[in-house]
Amino acid sequence: MTVTTAEPRPTAAAAPTGETARLISSRLRSYAAAILLPLTLIILWQLAGKDGSLAGGALPTPDRVWAAWKIWAFGTPTGLSLSPYVGTWAESVLFSAQRVAKGFALAILVGVPLGILIGWSKLAQAMVDPTIQWLRPVPITAWLPISIAIFGIADFGAVFLITIGAFYPIVINTTQGARDVEKNWIRAAQMMGAGKLDILRRIVLPAALPSIFTGLRIGLGIGWTAVIVSEMVAVKSGLGYVLWDAYYVGRMDIVIADMVSIGLVGFLSDWLIVRLEMWVLKWRRLQSFNS
Amino acid sequence: MGTITFNAVSKTYGGAGGVRALDNVDFQIGEGEFVALLGPSGCGKSTLLNLLAGFEPLSEGVLTFDGRTISKPGPDRGVVFQEAALLPWLSVWENVVFGPKVQGTPRAVYEAKAREILTIVGLEKFHEALPVQLSGGMRQRVGIARVLVMEPRALLMDEPFGALDAQTRLSMQQLLLEVWQRLKTTVLFVTHDIDEAILLADRVCVMTARPGRITRDIPITLPRPRSLDDLTTADFTRFKAMIMAEMRAGAH
Ligand SMILES: Nc1ncnc2c1ncn2[C@@H]1O[C@H](COP(=O)(O)OP(=O)(O)O)[C@@H](O)[C@H]1O
Ligand SMILES: [Mg+2]
Repeated sequence: MTVTTAEPRPTAAAAPTGETARLISSRLRSYAAAILLPLTLIILWQLAGKDGSLAGGALPTPDRVWAAWKIWAFGTPTGLSLSPYVGTWAESVLFSAQRVAKGFALAILVGVPLGILIGWSKLAQAMVDPTIQWLRPVPITAWLPISIAIFGIADFGAVFLITIGAFYPIVINTTQGARDVEKNWIRAAQMMGAGKLDILRRIVLPAALPSIFTGLRIGLGIGWTAVIVSEMVAVKSGLGYVLWDAYYVGRMDIVIADMVSIGLVGFLSDWLIVRLEMWVLKWRRLQSFNS
Repeated sequence: MGTITFNAVSKTYGGAGGVRALDNVDFQIGEGEFVALLGPSGCGKSTLLNLLAGFEPLSEGVLTFDGRTISKPGPDRGVVFQEAALLPWLSVWENVVFGPKVQGTPRAVYEAKAREILTIVGLEKFHEALPVQLSGGMRQRVGIARVLVMEPRALLMDEPFGALDAQTRLSMQQLLLEVWQRLKTTVLFVTHDIDEAILLADRVCVMTARPGRITRDIPITLPRPRSLDDLTTADFTRFKAMIMAEMRAGAH
């Protein structure tokens, strides 16, 4: 064969050491830039406080919050007085996270197949889409009474709310992705003998994955809102429950530590999804890298 | 095996009053024949090919493949798309074995064949690469390989080299000549490049637009096997002059 073969385009070529050093220092710079703003705010907040608080006692200063959190996280209960804010932090985080995981998984299990179906089949769209669009404006808070009436003050009430909240963005983004599949991918698959099910599974689903991931990220964020709301009202454990309970007994230091904790675990769970996305959508990443 | 017959075929997009892309086309391709369909853009070349592929329904007439009316796409007619249309999330290997896999062919049957074809198209070192990591020419080699692995009775190619640079295009034309001279499958090759049409085909069919019709059918009697050297022979130039005159006449 005398055919000349073009070299593939270089992608992530091994970087020389100088390059690596530059990469690391630019990384560090971006981390530094990222914490500059929160650090400044915390310092100002600390400096503005008098006798350990701000706004007439409503806002404890960062050092107080930090001290309260340390006890909440690592303290060991002593004596008979069972304080809810000693050594129970990890447990509360796990309660909430576990509910979000369950509700989110359920939302994916229902939302992704349904979204693929709606995006693919005009009949499914005509039959299901209007109902979804009409139920969607009902906020998750409005579902609380029904949830409590059906499930009581129990775990599944929270899971139910999370599922509802995460379901909409997942189903809508999946539908969008399934609808926008490039025509020639489907034609190519048909030409190679793929049946309807093959096309859904092997073409439409992978082609829709970038938008599915968009839906997952939005859905997960709503899932955290839902878990806090339902724990504040309808369940007796988790970060949302502690938040409301601490407010009632005037423990604003715990309230703030709780808020920071929600922010952190929410951020962490989003980061996990982003990592998963980068791994699953390697082809997409290389595409944008090249263009 | 691989005979194609268009019998008074018309195609109108968008129902009555829509765009009449093909008008009363009568056209045959014999077994093992390499036919180039040549014409300016918008004259209906892709439409003709898409009807044959089963991607679009026809509006009037009869279109048969080996005596059977075409109703849907299938692996007996391998289509090579202009931009390759590979599945970007699958590796080169997975793209090439997609057909046999969804058809339920056992791995033991297709594996050796896929390996051999990838070697023929010069991609033996790129099995694990993703389409985005390949150049345009290499992508089109994958597009050809995934069709060859199914051993179709006809190859339908819609300006497969139209998006490539001149040099890559030449090397792809040579590859196609070599592959076809070995397999002798029926080929319908759509192009707007006169040189390419003459170099590759047994017949060049010239199409004109509005209404989309095949106006001339010119046998290319250059001897086989051909190679890129044919591009500069006197006989080649004679065919080229004739077809250019034909196309100019059609444009008025
Ligand atoms: N899906 C479609 N819907 C409506 N009109 C179309 C469609 N595809 C092609 N056409 C029209 O049909 C004519 C022929 O198009 P096409 O077969 O793509 O030509 P070519 O491949 O020769 O460039 C053009 O006028 C084009 O605009
Ligand atoms: Mg075309």
